[in-house]
Amino acid sequence: MNAFNTIKYSRDPEIVQHLRPEPPSDWEARTMEGLDPLEYEIFTHKMHMIALEGKETTMKLGASTGMRWGDVAFGIYTAQGDLAVCATGIYHHAVLSQLPVKYLIKHLAGDPTVGLREGDAFFYNDPYYGGVHNADMGLCVPVFADGKLVCFIGAAVHTGECGGSEPGGMVNSARSRYDEGLMCPPIKIGENFELKEDLLGLLATATRDPRTMVLDIKARLAASRIAERRVHEFMDEMGADFYVGGLRRILKQTGEAARAKIATLNDGVYRQPRFIDTTGPEAALLKINLTIEKRGDRIKLILHGSSPMLPDRPMNTYFQGLIGMAMVYACGWLFPELPANNGLLEAVEWEFPEGSFVNPQGDVPVSYAPATQVAFAQGMFMAGAKMTYATDPSRAVGAWYTGFAVTVFAGYNQWGEPIADITPEINATGSGGRPGADGVDVAGAFFATMSDCGDVETTEAERPFLYTFRNFFNNSYGHGKYRGGSGVGLGLKVHGVPMVALGSMGFGSHFPATLGVFGGRAAPPAFVQTVRGSNLDALMAQGGSDLPRRLEDLYTPGGTPEEGTRDFLSVAHPPALYEGGDTVYAPVSGGAGYGDPLQREPEAVARDVSSGRCSAQAARDIYAVAIDDRTGLADAEATAARREAVRKQRLARAKPYDAFVAEWSKLTPPAEVLKYYGPWDGAAAQEA
Amino acid sequence: MTVRITENLCIDLAREEWCCVACNHRLAKARENYKTGCLVAEVPMEEAHPPLLEGAAFSFMPNPDFCRLVEFYCPNCGTVLENEYLPPGHPLTHDIDLDIDALKARHAADTAP
Repeated sequence: MNAFNTIKYSRDPEIVQHLRPEPPSDWEARTMEGLDPLEYEIFTHKMHMIALEGKETTMKLGASTGMRWGDVAFGIYTAQGDLAVCATGIYHHAVLSQLPVKYLIKHLAGDPTVGLREGDAFFYNDPYYGGVHNADMGLCVPVFADGKLVCFIGAAVHTGECGGSEPGGMVNSARSRYDEGLMCPPIKIGENFELKEDLLGLLATATRDPRTMVLDIKARLAASRIAERRVHEFMDEMGADFYVGGLRRILKQTGEAARAKIATLNDGVYRQPRFIDTTGPEAALLKINLTIEKRGDRIKLILHGSSPMLPDRPMNTYFQGLIGMAMVYACGWLFPELPANNGLLEAVEWEFPEGSFVNPQGDVPVSYAPATQVAFAQGMFMAGAKMTYATDPSRAVGAWYTGFAVTVFAGYNQWGEPIADITPEINATGSGGRPGADGVDVAGAFFATMSDCGDVETTEAERPFLYTFRNFFNNSYGHGKYRGGSGVGLGLKVHGVPMVALGSMGFGSHFPATLGVFGGRAAPPAFVQTVRGSNLDALMAQGGSDLPRRLEDLYTPGGTPEEGTRDFLSVAHPPALYEGGDTVYAPVSGGAGYGDPLQREPEAVARDVSSGRCSAQAARDIYAVAIDDRTGLADAEATAARREAVRKQRLARAKPYDAFVAEWSKLTPPAEVLKYYGPWDGAAAQEA
Repeated sequence: MTVRITENLCIDLAREEWCCVACNHRLAKARENYKTGCLVAEVPMEEAHPPLLEGAAFSFMPNPDFCRLVEFYCPNCGTVLENEYLPPGHPLTHDIDLDIDALKARHAADTAP
């Protein structure tokens, strides 16, 4: 059992409350008003271009999967540490990455043994300040004008491998935060425009993939230095006063715009409990009890009734991480037209119970926090759809796939180099059904919308895998009037090395991760298939034409000719050794269904059957569409009759609300499923 | 005046009632949970998410020990107005609890001459 941490050295609970912008400094207050409107517009555009250039530079120079494929936030912070300008699709960093900067301003800048000078660089990855997990690492540099601090510039990026008792940054079996590897509060990693070799060595030694660790740090720094040069060019032209006032004005405008946008929504209370089916090492239910209270120009996030803190399981998340994920929904869907910065939080309040797994204290592990955070974010999508439809239906979308199902690996690659990371397919999920349109097939990642899954050849060039296929995973989405977009399925064969460690991080093998809206169905549960001692190498050498080419090929009657020791595993399982030739098959699933499947256009169903996106069985049984065997077209008359019969069957089976509840409320999950849930009766009382 | 609230639900502001968008059937008082005016059923997982594997640990079907599917139907036309995936026996969610007075005031302002 871990003791509560009562020592505030390096962890400052006061700083993490500074999510919203600081009050303007005297300099900011004096300069932020009265800026020429045209010059201010040019300024905001230039700053965004500088940030975008920083993001692109970081991606081009970095080595980790996350960095190369866009899991990057690059921004400009005020001198007080607020993130005024940010280029990213990974929006949680846009409202969280100010915390380590504010920490160093408070604790290090005035410390005579550290200080803050031109040419410095600071590194950090303590999730207490980043809000997510150790794998997210950041670097920032201060920028001065005539000796006065004017801003910070920096990048937050998922580097992936960060040491710990398992590779890849997400430690399934972590029992405390000390199992999760490198945990670095802000430290000065560079002075006089040089990185300190001794500290680089320390950080490199802390991970299984030192090359990636160092390259990623240098990528962040190089991009920051380029941006620093651009900022100096701007100040040379327009002056530091304009620059400092302009940055603070962006934050002020963002907060005002966010509140104005919130004010357009209907006042009320919107509830969406969310369920997670794993603690990491074992299957069990956890609950995030989300209530959104919307009044006037504020929304309040309330999580009372959520499951208790997990003393020795890694699904805990710091509350600030959930705030970050709430803003992923906000930046991407609620007010995508606004700048992504922590000024948005002027419109948000929160109330998270202490001692719950969504606001833990002490030394508890948090490396699976991304799973809990995306489960929460999906609650934002679902409650958000009900909150926004009345005033702007275009915002009321089904959730994208949220179960992660990330393949984690570690070992030595075919070139003899140490590697530890994740595969990039998490950036290839299906998006949710939308008003008037299906979700997009293999759209991306909802929490990293500017990211990409890369080419298989690029991954194969440096990783000891052969992709046996990677393409649409048909039927992996939620059905509905507008179906979710299809996810992706992949087959990996360990290739070119004697062995490698492989695992998976995610949730949703028992309880679907991605649920529908307005009557739409969930995307089906996902799981991983592995074949040890596989004969696939031999089958490929024979040139067999019946080898699996899509994930669904593994589960159709007749199956696959591949033989070996076959296992079916939860998407949450720790890495284990696999030998050369062994295979792993993983889904990264599709989006949520939207609306009653019986309202889907029959011809849309027929087209999906024709393209393979939808099975004939689902067309018949879920959509109740009659398809002409000869033409492949929907039979409108037969479909109407079938659907009318299904509606009658629904009503014949259903009961009035009270009668249903009387029977339903007698049910309960098995005790082992509720081991970590918290009081079952208490949850019921909370709902009532 | 009727205002749309979701894909499937609207509110008659004058009568303060939830209605089905598809058939205009009156479901419940607007200040109450619309679900109380629905017919409700649990849909077997084998039907909603048919398993693709027999006897394996996982099958693409939610595990009924963890998860059940409850659907809320318009009693008149049988449209699924909403659904919930819940642990068995978990209380049904009062998901939309609008401030009806504020809603009426907003639309009164919208329609004011």
